[in-house]
Amino acid sequence: MEDSQDMAGSAERVPEISGETPGSPGGKDTSAWSVPTGRRTDEWSECLVLIAHKQDRAAYTRLFRHFAPLIKAFALSGSALSATHADELVQEVMLKIWQKAGAFNPEKAAASTWVYTIARNCRTDMFRRLQKFDTPLAAEDFSPEQSDEEPFLQLQNRRSAERIREMMSKLPADQTQILAKVYMEGKSHSEAAAELDLPLGTVKSRVRLAVQKLQVQFERSRDLEPQS
Amino acid sequence: MAKHHPSLDILTEYAAGTLSLAQAACVSAHLNYCDACSRTVSQLHSVGATLFEGLDPEPVGDAVLDRVLARLDEDAPLSYQRPAEARQDATPALLRRLMAGDFSDLSWKKITDTLRTTQIKTGDPQFEFSLLHIRAGGEVPAHDHQGSEMTLVLQGGFSDDRGAYHPGDFIYRQADDVHTPRAFEDEDCICLAVLDAPLRFTSWKYRWMNPFLRLQAG
Repeated sequence: MEDSQDMAGSAERVPEISGETPGSPGGKDTSAWSVPTGRRTDEWSECLVLIAHKQDRAAYTRLFRHFAPLIKAFALSGSALSATHADELVQEVMLKIWQKAGAFNPEKAAASTWVYTIARNCRTDMFRRLQKFDTPLAAEDFSPEQSDEEPFLQLQNRRSAERIREMMSKLPADQTQILAKVYMEGKSHSEAAAELDLPLGTVKSRVRLAVQKLQVQFERSRDLEPQS
Repeated sequence: MAKHHPSLDILTEYAAGTLSLAQAACVSAHLNYCDACSRTVSQLHSVGATLFEGLDPEPVGDAVLDRVLARLDEDAPLSYQRPAEARQDATPALLRRLMAGDFSDLSWKKITDTLRTTQIKTGDPQFEFSLLHIRAGGEVPAHDHQGSEMTLVLQGGFSDDRGAYHPGDFIYRQADDVHTPRAFEDEDCICLAVLDAPLRFTSWKYRWMNPFLRLQAG
């Protein structure tokens, strides 16, 4: 049978095509495929769900061993924080993950995206604390409450996340470098320009080019020329 | 649905967390009105997440794990029952918090017969975050910007030589862009404005005020 309608809940039925040769176009064996009903099947999402529902410490420890070293690397990139602060950030982020696991929705986002966002918010807050900002806001207040999206849109979002992941590996080195400066080192476009000794315009267009290559969709303003 | 949006540059800086606090608050408020930009931002988060996963891991000592495990009991996982929030056209939650109340609870400072402003404290050391209230049919005197200006329409709307703007619309202007916004005839207009340098009135009638338009960041 060709398995062309790979959208609608065919997960449970797939194994029945046992007699077929592996050449069939479904490609059911790739490890990272998400089950067509939309649930992500990766290990880290499962850990988060176990933590939320069962306060599972073993799952939490596995998650820690995977993500803590990444969070620490994130803290240290751009040599923004000292080693002590980096360990502090790891603790803060990991505790947040434990507390907030119930808010993680595997239909909506990959576990790594969710963890990354928390790490980014905590790092921003730590910077602001260190610089003695007097603000009533925490970085997580800036994420607007998302309305629950229709399953179709969620599916689309997951697809584009997978596409982005795939295409990132094909970006030219200068574009990956600039994205890393902006995202991992937390440099604004003008700070990145100063550090790389490039004109601001070059940095902006390099970032924009990279993001467009990843096919990130965006809305252009109507009846206005695109802003430069 | 908003028709005027932040550029991809601004959304990328927002997603990466590198926009200044006041500007980020303004973009975040736009997202409350705009599903399309919210989706762009979530795709931009995937870019960050992919880079994050590709970092060279830095070893973390077991002592840190032990400390965290010891604290788990104090911080039990919370369960979330999120209220279905009315998103479109409601004042964004972030803004309601910053205002600590309603538009009417703020103290508005009179600039001209039709224009009032009030500054809202965000803690951003560089950018001023303020609300403008323009009477129905009233004009903001022609001005340019010595720095950048982000504007988000919250209520009513206005037009200038480049377009007409309704609630949720986001406008970004840079230095030397002169414009004369005029509120729609039928309703007062309230906008959020984020500035990194004071406005400068260009029409002779109001130029005398320029020295009084000092930036009030913070």
